[in-house]
Amino acid sequence: MSGNDPRASTDGGTDVYRDSFVPYINTWGRRTNLLAVALSFGPAIVLLTVFDILPPTEAITSAFVAVAATYGIFWFIEPISYYPVLGIPGTYMAFLSGNISNLRLPCAAAAQESADVQTGTSEGSIISTVAIAASIGVNTTLLGVGAFALVSVFQALPELWRTALGSYLVPAVFGAIFAQFGRDYPKVAGVGFVLALAMTTLLEGGFLGFLPGYPLYVVIIVSVFGTILIARWMWQNGMIEAPEEA
Amino acid sequence: MLSLASVSAYLDVANSRWLWLSTLPVVLVVLLQASIFLRRAWSDGKEMGLSEAQLKSGFKTGVISAIGPAIAVLVGMLALIATVGGPVSWMRLSVIGSVAFELPAAELGVSQFGYSLGDDDISEVAYATAVWTMTLGGTGWLLFSAFGTPHMEKLRQKMGNGREKLIPVISSAAMLGAFAYFLTGEVAAGTPETGSVAAGGIVMLILLRIADERDVQWIREWALGTAMIVGLVVGVALQVTVGSWW
Repeated sequence: MSGNDPRASTDGGTDVYRDSFVPYINTWGRRTNLLAVALSFGPAIVLLTVFDILPPTEAITSAFVAVAATYGIFWFIEPISYYPVLGIPGTYMAFLSGNISNLRLPCAAAAQESADVQTGTSEGSIISTVAIAASIGVNTTLLGVGAFALVSVFQALPELWRTALGSYLVPAVFGAIFAQFGRDYPKVAGVGFVLALAMTTLLEGGFLGFLPGYPLYVVIIVSVFGTILIARWMWQNGMIEAPEEA
Repeated sequence: MLSLASVSAYLDVANSRWLWLSTLPVVLVVLLQASIFLRRAWSDGKEMGLSEAQLKSGFKTGVISAIGPAIAVLVGMLALIATVGGPVSWMRLSVIGSVAFELPAAELGVSQFGYSLGDDDISEVAYATAVWTMTLGGTGWLLFSAFGTPHMEKLRQKMGNGREKLIPVISSAAMLGAFAYFLTGEVAAGTPETGSVAAGGIVMLILLRIADERDVQWIREWALGTAMIVGLVVGVALQVTVGSWW
């Protein structure tokens, strides 16, 4: 599907693909993704203008720093890692619409199989573009209808279940994702858990009170960067290694 | 929207008509991009020698393959709907997002005010901070894919200097550190939350193991959704039987 590489194609379709299709996709891909950046602020702007709710700048900054510390590396690693499979059009579409590994990649692969084109050719890239576009139509519609219906269901539930949904789904997700990553690196998982538990205890016990503001950011930074540093040290000393299929 | 004996006041704002309206433009951009790319791929694909039948087959396969995973995403969306409301959930999961990013981002937002997702009394300001955090955090992927995609081939080559083996270790360590922090917060909240964390983690481990051994993709797609449901049931069961020991 990395059909941007002209050598990968074997027939005369290459010129159309490289000289017409790819430049068009690059132009419109950049325009639409940047437009989406601007429009994704819609709910935040409505909260500000209609409901007159603006959080303090420090709160937003501190939360954003914590998010960037955790996910910042993925902003770069994910597009670069998925690019060979997604190709140029697929990269724009998949990072705009999300759900890449569980939805976009399987759709693209299945479509190439059924249309009988080779992965890695420009024909393969065209078919994956068609398939990913189709999958975007399906999941946006399904999620939209589903979200609307689920909100009504949620509001009609008895209070015990509404509280339960709010309280117990989130911990299960946290536990599941932790297990998913911890599976490959059980020692790192142990280190992270001990660090986070120690820091949370210090925070709750008021031992971080000497720091300015609400010192939650210290707990997050120590948990994230402490785990990274120790994992790096363990890796350099051969105590852990990356799984075959990372 | 009408809400009697509302569990959380902020959810009335979160599920209001204004919020639904504010999410429409960005979701429309996602659909617009998909249709622009689809049209161009269709006409350039024909010029490259792909048959109408191949293109149609690619489209149809994209639609069919998207349905299963999209329903799986819908189940995962429940946790978001229960905590940040329908419109923002829909938007975040149709643009960039995945449950694994949006929930922690929202948690980091509300935690700036000492709340945790699922608390009854989350203030509107804390909710707005969660929205800002999810929005700002998600722009990283969009900006990098908007500007980086044409240069992706060069970027990949630059990274291949022996250090690329460390990348999965570091990114997994960042995730483990952050989720360890989220976990300890839930464990500190009480016995039912702890049970839900443990159930979510154990179910995930079992399902991923089965999926690996038998190489079944759909089990992977349903793993997070199943872990959430089991975690919810365990949390409710503990709440109504033993309550909380701490």
